[in-house]
Amino acid sequence: MASRAPGHHGDPGLQPERTALAWGRTMLALVTASAFFLRWLPTYGPPILVLPVISGSAALAIYLTQRRRYQARSHGLAGESIEADLTAVLWTAFAGVVLGGLGIVVILVS
Amino acid sequence: MTNSEQQPGPAGPPPRGRIAERLLPGGEEPDPRFTLANERTFLAWIRTSLALLAGGIAVEAFTSGLFIEPVRKGLAVLLLLLGMMLSGGAAVRWLRVERSMRTKAPLPLPLFVPLLAGAGALAAAVVLVFILWR
Repeated sequence: MASRAPGHHGDPGLQPERTALAWGRTMLALVTASAFFLRWLPTYGPPILVLPVISGSAALAIYLTQRRRYQARSHGLAGESIEADLTAVLWTAFAGVVLGGLGIVVILVS
Repeated sequence: MTNSEQQPGPAGPPPRGRIAERLLPGGEEPDPRFTLANERTFLAWIRTSLALLAGGIAVEAFTSGLFIEPVRKGLAVLLLLLGMMLSGGAAVRWLRVERSMRTKAPLPLPLFVPLLAGAGALAAAVVLVFILWR
């Protein structure tokens, strides 16, 4: 994934790699959730596609930012300074809240 | 003069964004390893939340032949509600931990651990009763 040699940051605990993998796992979980939402399509019709689109978009956003995130963390760790990634954290949590909320609305309204 | 030794150089801490200044005020940047560990913990909670959401969807989509409608919908809503709360709670906990680390204060206890454990135990008990009853 990284364009630099492994260990550029010099951290024996490989923290940037582990964090990038954690984001990757979350991305796969979002893709899985999208597939589950598609199971509602025969029951609730096309409007339900909003749900997999939200979870799929969140997964795509993670995928597209993985390289930039890894490089920023790798460089940050080398310089002993990493700023907390507020935007990514808040958007990811927001996606989870919206997906749960819309799912509840779908079940209760139908 | 030897004032260059103690003065912060031009390469001091990088400027922080407005949202970061507002939500994570004061203190100083923690050890970057702790920041990354906090983020990984947040992501683990998010995945737990997504598993609950997927569980809620699965109950609603696949158990029509097993549960009567009110039970099925109730279970699905309960799982989705739990997943939703866990997502929001994960972000709140991430913020609280990050703030504590910035001010070198003790880390807060995860308040939704007992909630999740209680809900899991309740769900297991319901399934057990259901299996024995049928």
